[in-house]
Amino acid sequence: MAERRKYKKRFCKYCEAKVDFMDYKDVGALRFSLSERYKIMPRRLTGNCKRHQDMIATVIKRARAAALVPYTVTRKTVVTAPFENLR
Amino acid sequence: MRHYENLVIVKPTLTAEEIQANISAIEEVITSNGGEIAARDAMGMRKLAYPLGKNERGYFHVIYYSVAPAAINEIERRFRINEDLLRFVTIKYDTNREVIAWNQLVQKAQKKATQPVSETKVEEVVIPAALEENDDEE
Repeated sequence: MAERRKYKKRFCKYCEAKVDFMDYKDVGALRFSLSERYKIMPRRLTGNCKRHQDMIATVIKRARAAALVPYTVTRKTVVTAPFENLR
Repeated sequence: MRHYENLVIVKPTLTAEEIQANISAIEEVITSNGGEIAARDAMGMRKLAYPLGKNERGYFHVIYYSVAPAAINEIERRFRINEDLLRFVTIKYDTNREVIAWNQLVQKAQKKATQPVSETKVEEVVIPAALEENDDEE
């Protein structure tokens, strides 16, 4: 089984930073857990722990409702750099 | 009393004075329902991640306050009546951990409000320039 593991063992970035609370307005921090098309990245790819994945999922959904993060990005509705405000 | 946070997006087509009048009206809705505003954070005019009623931009304003939970229904009802509000998001801070975070956010917002104006000016200059570039590309 050990041979099958293609990537090195992943760890939770949020656990390492000891994140207790995430703010949905801080969009730059959400970027790590979002794909190019602004989908929520699965835990198996980011290595987040269950607790922090649950937190980030609710926070991203809040940010989507507040029009800070797009729901979807398709070829028709391309979002031009939605993170540009965060500099 | 419970801690809450409200993010409101005001229509970008209004003038600056109208926006300020609108925001003070929004704050009055909260205070008239027994709320105590702890801090406010004007995020300013920003580009929306997706169009809201054909508006590409919006004026973001965040209000931190505490009210009795029963009053939230009435506050949200009043917000829905207001046609100049594109969107509002109400967040409840209930558990101990969230209340600590709420206090930190309030302090952060108060610090930001007391800081010199020069920083916000720089942001205002940067954002329109970035938007224009994007318009050219389209």
